[in-house]
Amino acid sequence: MNRPLQLLIVDDEPLARQLMREYLQKHTDIQIMDECANGVAAAEAISSLEPDLILLDIHMPKLNGFEVLELTGRTKGVIFTTAYDQYALKAFDLHAVDYLLKPFSQTRFDEAIEQARALHNRSQQTIPALLAQTQLERMVVRDRGQIHIIPLAGIDYVEAHDDYICIHWDGKSILKTQSLSALEAQLDKQEFVRIHRSFIVKLSAVKSMERISKDAQVVVLYSGTKLPMSRSGYERIKPHIKQADK
Amino acid sequence: MHPILSRLRTLLWYVFALGVAGVALAWILVLTHSAEWGGALLFALPGLQLLGFILTSAYYVCRSLPFAQRKALRVVFIFSGSSLLSAFAWLSLCVLWNNLTKNLDVSWAGVALSPLFSILLFGTASLLFLVSLLAHDVLIAFENIRDGERRQAATQLLARDAELQVLRSQINPHFLFNSLNSISALTTIDAAAARSMTIELGSFFRKTLAVSERLSITLTEELELCEHFLAIEKIRFGEKLQTTIEIDQSAQAAKVPPMFLQPLIENSIKHGICNLNDGGMITLKMVTHNAQLLISVSNPMDHQPTNASGTGTGLKNLKARINNLYGERGYASWRAADNIFCVEIMIPLEFS
Repeated sequence: MNRPLQLLIVDDEPLARQLMREYLQKHTDIQIMDECANGVAAAEAISSLEPDLILLDIHMPKLNGFEVLELTGRTKGVIFTTAYDQYALKAFDLHAVDYLLKPFSQTRFDEAIEQARALHNRSQQTIPALLAQTQLERMVVRDRGQIHIIPLAGIDYVEAHDDYICIHWDGKSILKTQSLSALEAQLDKQEFVRIHRSFIVKLSAVKSMERISKDAQVVVLYSGTKLPMSRSGYERIKPHIKQADK
Repeated sequence: MHPILSRLRTLLWYVFALGVAGVALAWILVLTHSAEWGGALLFALPGLQLLGFILTSAYYVCRSLPFAQRKALRVVFIFSGSSLLSAFAWLSLCVLWNNLTKNLDVSWAGVALSPLFSILLFGTASLLFLVSLLAHDVLIAFENIRDGERRQAATQLLARDAELQVLRSQINPHFLFNSLNSISALTTIDAAAARSMTIELGSFFRKTLAVSERLSITLTEELELCEHFLAIEKIRFGEKLQTTIEIDQSAQAAKVPPMFLQPLIENSIKHGICNLNDGGMITLKMVTHNAQLLISVSNPMDHQPTNASGTGTGLKNLKARINNLYGERGYASWRAADNIFCVEIMIPLEFS
């Protein structure tokens, strides 16, 4: 006999959690480790408890389900639960990323559990793909155990440092493990522009462009910071800056 | 549409006026001893009718030059050019006609056109064409303004329809499906609560459908709707969600647009109460003051930035709605201080 499957329930509504507990009663080989009522608690519990399986609500206070996964780097053993599928989930095969639409039946719940058991410990490559597709509404970074939520509106620019990116916002900066290209794909191209191999800048933070030599230009931010700009970066930013002049 | 040619009545008046002008020209010809009455009329009447129709063509010249694309130099060039050209064409036709009539075997036909008189006719015709151009421009401008107004009225009507549409679909799908999920959970835990939640949900939807058909409802009706909504949310969130509602006696029958407060309360829960581990109290106050209805909704909030979906779309909509309905007479503002978020609304106090 295998050891019981360790499970974590994450949902902000007490009744929804109780329902899942009820549905889990017949699954005697599953042990409920804990329940979390918000994204921050979930991220902490996932890191400390390392559950085999997570029933993860997407729409949650503090951090949403996707942000929880991104912060914890979790790529397997997740069943999403959501009331309304407005997310990228729709595009994915149910067998790749399983999700339960509320309200769901015991039968549907059991199917999801069975499938999760079958996939147990196999990494689901679709989860990173799913995360990469969701458009960011803000950035979440964990730094020395503390979770920072950075609204996109506050960001000035993001700089690449080897395997890290350095986010500069409101005069502060913070490091995050992520590639600049991956971040670029998640940002709105009308608001953020890649001006250089190592820099993404937020358009509303740009004050002007300055020519420093015959064929080199820099972007000047309202904060006074000057950022290098490549030729292709100039081509990308030019139409936006022109629009701003109008 | 041409302002003269496209309307029969105007056209008949125009032809009549041209006839009178023709007689006047004939009179001048007689006075200057250029012709006898018969010849003068034979020359002037068709001539003036012809001039009249040439003048109406100014409309198409104006139309071909939309106001937005005009450049001073080009306009001067085209206006003066077309004036001179049409005057020249007209005069040539007149002279041709005059010579034709001279060939007729009638003694009184034909007009003796002196060079001076020809130049005078040419000058007058080109001036008239210029005046016609300007008049048509003014007409077109008026037409544009009227068109704009009509379009604006149509847009407003559309906006109102759209608003009703929005109201009907404002029911948040998250709210519906989460509520159904709660009912599903309650069936085994507390069957009576499941039943009462079903009834509340039904009442809320029924009420929403009923009020969204109307332009305005009383504040009491809006509050009833909110009570159903809150009853459901209280089952979902339990102790976390608490509310205080205070309403002035004088405000109860006040007219408000339907679904005015419910979205505000929904936002307070979604962006305020939900994010707090221990929940909190939503305070709704409605008072009247100097023929104004003042409404405030306040809730505690987390100091961290809230869900990104709370970028103020709901509040912007509220502001747009107030502006649309009351213009300068309505007002909405919000502020966040000491972890309390507060929305304040002021609209004219009206009763049906």
